[in-house]
Amino acid sequence: MSLDLQKILESKRALRRNLAARPVAEKLRMLDALRERELAIRGGAGHCGSSAPREEPAAYETKAKN
Amino acid sequence: MAIKEVIQTINQMQADGVIECYAIGGAVGATFYLEPVATLDVDIFAGFKSEPGSLIVSPQPVFDYLKARGGTVEGEYIMIGGWPVRFLPPGTPLVEEALKESVTKEVDGTPARIFTAEHLAAIALQTGRAKDKARLLQFVEAGALDAARFQAIVARHGLLDAWRRFERQFLSDTG
Repeated sequence: MSLDLQKILESKRALRRNLAARPVAEKLRMLDALRERELAIRGGAGHCGSSAPREEPAAYETKAKN
Repeated sequence: MAIKEVIQTINQMQADGVIECYAIGGAVGATFYLEPVATLDVDIFAGFKSEPGSLIVSPQPVFDYLKARGGTVEGEYIMIGGWPVRFLPPGTPLVEEALKESVTKEVDGTPARIFTAEHLAAIALQTGRAKDKARLLQFVEAGALDAARFQAIVARHGLLDAWRRFERQFLSDTG
């Protein structure tokens, strides 16, 4: 096995291009699956439980005052 | 758990006159243009209607509408289709413009209102968290932006310095 970094990076770029080009409905289903996996990894509730993890919200509003 | 259910619910909410308009932003909005990246919630930007006899615009009717249909409120989120959904008013001129110029895309026959790629990228530049910068980089690397349109948005909303910093930090060949 050889470690050809350029080849690995190009392969990753190709995978990303391929994923981005998939139909939107399929990509949204992937988001559903990714969230399920993220919740499982974090040990949070996989349903509507109040212990479900949340992300740090983006500060959309505070920037208005700048 | 299905984002499509979120979209259908919001379309129905708009058809029922609870909100005037909406557009999906954040990571879910970006998924319409880029490869999917894990996210835990859905950001919906909405034009709320003022309540009868009041000039004050409030998201309360949205919460009342969704709670009456089985939605549960958790802090600033409401759960729809297993996803925590955050309803946000257009709080900056940039987001106001993004909402006004949002586009319709089809998801298996269901229409969804989405920010344009250029507005999503400009909002990511403005909010500026690490994950926002990563998303902006994704947009650039994927060639998903109309450069002239993006530059015009950046200039119009006072983000030129932020963009130059971003370019120096992430897009400079010399590092």
